[in-house]
Amino acid sequence: MIYDYDDYNAAAEDQPADQVEVHPDADVDFVTAKMFLQKCSTLTGDNLYDHLTDVLNKILAERPENVIDFFEEYSRKVKEQRFRPMTDHLEDIYVAPGRYVLAKKLMPLLRPPVSEEGPVMDPEDEDLADMTKNDMLQLCYFFEQAGLGLPRSEMFYILLSMRKLIREEPIASIRFWGKIHGLYKNYLIVETELKEEEYIRRNERLEEEGTQLPDLGGGGDDTYAALEGIAKTQEEEEGEGEGEMNLPSKVPRRLPPPPQAIYEEPLEPPSEPPGIGVNKKVFYVCNEAGDPWIQLPDVTPKQIRVARQIKKSFTGLLNQEIITYPDFPGNESNYLRAQIARISAGTQISPLGFYTFKEEAGEEEEEEEEEEEGGGGGGGMKTSYSENSRYEPIPIRDLVDGSMSFWVHHTLHILPQGRTSWWNPSPPEGEEMDEELGEEEGGKPGVAGPEPETGPPLLTPLSEDASLEAVPPWSVRTSSGILQDYAIAIVRSNLWQGAYCFATQGKIFQNVYLGFGHKYMAHNFTPVPLPPVQQDYPLGPEIMEISDPTGAEEEQWRIDHLPKPPPVKAEGEEEGEEAEEEEEEEDD
Amino acid sequence: MNLDSILNALEIVGHHGNIISTEESIVLSNSLLLLQNENHFRKVYFWGRIFGADKDYYIAYGYVKDALLGKIYYYSTNCVDWGLLPQPTDYAKTLVPLCTTKFIGDPATVIDILIDKEETSLGKVLTGPIVRKLKEEDRLSATIYLINEDACVVPRGALFKRSDGVVVENLNFDGLSALESQEIRCFLHFRSPHQKWNTNLLTRVDYNYAFDFLDTIDTDIPKGCWTIQQCAGGILTLVKSLYWPGMVIYHYVETPRYGFVYFGHGKKILDLPFMLNVL
Repeated sequence: MIYDYDDYNAAAEDQPADQVEVHPDADVDFVTAKMFLQKCSTLTGDNLYDHLTDVLNKILAERPENVIDFFEEYSRKVKEQRFRPMTDHLEDIYVAPGRYVLAKKLMPLLRPPVSEEGPVMDPEDEDLADMTKNDMLQLCYFFEQAGLGLPRSEMFYILLSMRKLIREEPIASIRFWGKIHGLYKNYLIVETELKEEEYIRRNERLEEEGTQLPDLGGGGDDTYAALEGIAKTQEEEEGEGEGEMNLPSKVPRRLPPPPQAIYEEPLEPPSEPPGIGVNKKVFYVCNEAGDPWIQLPDVTPKQIRVARQIKKSFTGLLNQEIITYPDFPGNESNYLRAQIARISAGTQISPLGFYTFKEEAGEEEEEEEEEEEGGGGGGGMKTSYSENSRYEPIPIRDLVDGSMSFWVHHTLHILPQGRTSWWNPSPPEGEEMDEELGEEEGGKPGVAGPEPETGPPLLTPLSEDASLEAVPPWSVRTSSGILQDYAIAIVRSNLWQGAYCFATQGKIFQNVYLGFGHKYMAHNFTPVPLPPVQQDYPLGPEIMEISDPTGAEEEQWRIDHLPKPPPVKAEGEEEGEEAEEEEEEEDD
Repeated sequence: MNLDSILNALEIVGHHGNIISTEESIVLSNSLLLLQNENHFRKVYFWGRIFGADKDYYIAYGYVKDALLGKIYYYSTNCVDWGLLPQPTDYAKTLVPLCTTKFIGDPATVIDILIDKEETSLGKVLTGPIVRKLKEEDRLSATIYLINEDACVVPRGALFKRSDGVVVENLNFDGLSALESQEIRCFLHFRSPHQKWNTNLLTRVDYNYAFDFLDTIDTDIPKGCWTIQQCAGGILTLVKSLYWPGMVIYHYVETPRYGFVYFGHGKKILDLPFMLNVL
């Protein structure tokens, strides 16, 4: 406070002496200061006194630590709160929390099943898929041990929604496959095998469609025919012109024949029918637990081959266009299906001996068969296996062995062709193809047709896997360093980052994929270069680029070709010269 | 990821796939406390895990005073014994992007890096292919530096720059609102800013000197190199870097709970422009 002492003295002199107070007076100072602080702002109408009261009140109520560092922040917050009107009529509208939508979606699944009194079906008659291996909460427990996982609630919802799925679709077996992250949404994926009759029905439908296919393929021919028509009319016009003139004029020159496309599209290997090879399993996806499951279309060899050459992020929208080079045949659902097929083929593994080939006969024969199989190198490959009822759990010491010889692939390798079984593009003699195949692999390669592509047979140990660019394909860990007795073995694929498999010391194991759906590349991705430009016309002097002669050269040529003085010449030569001169004129 | 979140990793980053396993989380939450005590850290955090072929690296950091510049990193291969991570050298920083091998899991390994003749990132013309040696410990340190530069993110308002220039955690932070958490501009790079101090201030109408001192992630190229997803009915926001898949930033909307964690192979995906769709 600034005192004006002159005024004060003058005033004091006027006043009677008994009214003189002791100065400075604390009360007066206080009142003046308070009045100053309570002065309302001309802009907002607030005053500092109330604000400070509020701030101090808030600080004392909340008692935060080091409040001096954030004092400005507190002050700002208090001010902000004051801006909110006390009677906000908009608040009368109830805004549902974001979780409400989720809860509403999940509630039908969470309702306990209504016990129907009337036509009760015996559970065994219902013929539903076996869900005993899909205890997602148990899986969640093991996943958590392995350092993986989806939140517990999500696993629970997935389990419920899988149960719903097997009642709606003709599914014989079901398994949680994994999750692929997308840009906007993620995909939850389940792997199913359909019932036999469903596969048969699909194959029949496919055959019906197959007979109609040639009609559909007519589109390309039409354009080709149109092109030919144009060429023909052009030729006719030329012919007419020549006929009219009937002169040896070379203007306009006769056009060379139109270029012919000599490139033949290599025959596309047929898709494997539903229930076989890469289409053995049928996959259902959804974006979030509780959404309806959508079945993915079957994959074609071409989709697999192209998927190997491209790298594209998933968006989470199934009908998203895939814009790449080489052109991917299909939309994101096809791309997703192709990647799932590749990941499954590369990373689905099981402990050695858990699965065995389907053999009715005794053990000895089985072994013999297997040996033969190994020698054959994949000829007439076995595509089916069954669970080994006499499987003895492998000790964890062996499971976490770095050589990986106690783990085997149980999904067929996909050949470069995009199929699991090789398809011969030029079948030698009709129906003998199968035999031919067998013979070739018996040791007579290259009798006829191209070399068949072969891959490792089913149930090959992981130790046989090729490493990519010095990257070991698998890494293996135990879940625990302290509690060896309860530890589980975790195998991680280094080529498909996100692919895991765990096996307990009992008989439980599970493959899962949680990742972005792309294969590891040691060097960065390089798109396939464009093919070299094809030649329109055969290379010849007509289309060669030659530098024009200079004036001096032309003069030299003229002098060289001057008619020579001695007239001892045959007529033929003169004619030739004339012709040359003519040509020269034409060139100009 | 702070100590409280480590024990609850399944619910938080489980949406992304990789979590801290049960045993690791128990070991980590104790051994990190010891680490904090030994170094007199004000706070200690779990940074992430880098997968190696034989062993994995667990990374933790803490700070004494400055939450941004004063970070000190430790690494371990068993979650128990922590070693100080060396400062990243310029040599390692240039070489790390050229590594094509995986981490092995032994910090003493020396790897050979073959550099093509055409390589231009070294800033000089090479006369032929050359081989450079790099110790895995240095590689780890440089990798973490690069990940921090590119992919570490905090929600706006979580860090507070005091008037004396020291960056502290904002004790008064109560989270982004549901709308803000879907906006990419509300997430800031957790690194010393590359842009001028006023650039970041000028991009916002409601700027605040104490908050907007970091670079926002919306200026990163190409557009779309970050994804923001709402999980668990919108209460949890996950921000993911597509350059460094495995880096996930979580933030519980309207709560002061936030953090980031990295689970990956320590390789930057430079193919991103090919992978994104044309906008």
